[in-house]
Amino acid sequence: MTHDGTARPVITDRLIGWILTVGGPAGALAAFVLAVEKVALLKDPTYTPSCSINPILSCGSIMTTAQAEVFGFPNPLIGLAAFPVVAATGAAVLAGARLPRWWWLSLQAGALLGVVFVHWLFVQSLYRIGALCPYCMVVWVVMILIFSYLTLHNAERGHLPAPRRVTGALLAVHSTVPLLWLLILTGLIGVRFWDYWSTLL
Amino acid sequence: MPTSRTGTRPSRPNRKAGKAARQLTGKPGMSTNLKVTLSVLGAALAVLLLVVAVNLTEPKPPAGAADVVREDSHRLSTAADGKVTIVEFLDFECEACGAAYPGVERLRAEYGDRITYVVRYFPIAGHPNAFNAAHAAEAAARQGKFEQMYVKLFDNQAAWGHTEESRAPVFEGYAAELGLDMAKFRADVTSTEVAERVKSDAADGTALGVQGTPTFFVNGEKFTDRPSYEALKAAVDKGLSE
Repeated sequence: MTHDGTARPVITDRLIGWILTVGGPAGALAAFVLAVEKVALLKDPTYTPSCSINPILSCGSIMTTAQAEVFGFPNPLIGLAAFPVVAATGAAVLAGARLPRWWWLSLQAGALLGVVFVHWLFVQSLYRIGALCPYCMVVWVVMILIFSYLTLHNAERGHLPAPRRVTGALLAVHSTVPLLWLLILTGLIGVRFWDYWSTLL
Repeated sequence: MPTSRTGTRPSRPNRKAGKAARQLTGKPGMSTNLKVTLSVLGAALAVLLLVVAVNLTEPKPPAGAADVVREDSHRLSTAADGKVTIVEFLDFECEACGAAYPGVERLRAEYGDRITYVVRYFPIAGHPNAFNAAHAAEAAARQGKFEQMYVKLFDNQAAWGHTEESRAPVFEGYAAELGLDMAKFRADVTSTEVAERVKSDAADGTALGVQGTPTFFVNGEKFTDRPSYEALKAAVDKGLSE
């Protein structure tokens, strides 16, 4: 009932529109704060970023690493440029615009790159650097939400070729997809920093 | 409206038909999606509660079991009268520790054996070479050269700090410069005993509420001011005059 276009889709225009409209600015804001903190840190190396709360939740120890500038410039600049595109797409959809397939596929490609990058950073953060940065984690969550819903949306509307049965099954439980995903990451964080969390109990 | 136009956009969802279909097939109450999502969330919360409950019921070391200074803690100087004891929990790679270091050295030079100065390890995982450095210092300590290694590590912090790769070879170089028995140093630096020794310091620190480095304790009390030379000197003078 969802594939032939005669019934209302599960991921309605309203739903995907709102997710992009809220997720885009949230990601952009986190990237903006990180960029501002980076500048402050460059001006004064002894500056303690607002999100350096304790040895584990510490932006300072993350922002000074090589991984924070993978492409030779601070990573947040990518988010600062890319998230507004997501926001604008969401707003356009909410306003009733019907975007062409190439638009959705371009956004999908961007989201794929973003979500892959975020997971690389996740691995680096947990297993190489050994600290977490709260604003970066906002970006991880936003990226996973956007990617999940964008992919489901594009599969449902036929922009992306996808097996119907799998798509149908995932659509039936759509919000479980990002939830399970995030729970797995939360579990990994819990295990990795168990020594620290257990001291808080 | 010409009838041919209705066929031009077959992909546009027909809202009325869709609504009817939902009414026919959709069950009243919560959607499947909401039910499954809430179940997963509930299961995750249950697991979390279970973990917390198990952790809370586990016997914990009694309060006060962590000492600010222990028998095996490294003393850079020992005051005969025992009036003033400064304990510093530090991470050799931490910039703030490097910033406090000149003041500390000035203080130590000035007061010498009139104060007891204790250094304890508190390596922070966010610094890639914090543990390597602590292990090098502990391995040097096993040959009676803790203080010399402590000085070398801080004097050269800018040279080895804040790089991703292991600086263990640099620390081996320092050990050689200090004239250590290199076979013993290499064996010690990678031994579990040395690692455990560093960990036990950090565990005491955590139990004492140390959250970052450097954290100073003056006569057992956590020193909350910025650890400048002047602030530490004032605390020392106060202790000595009592």
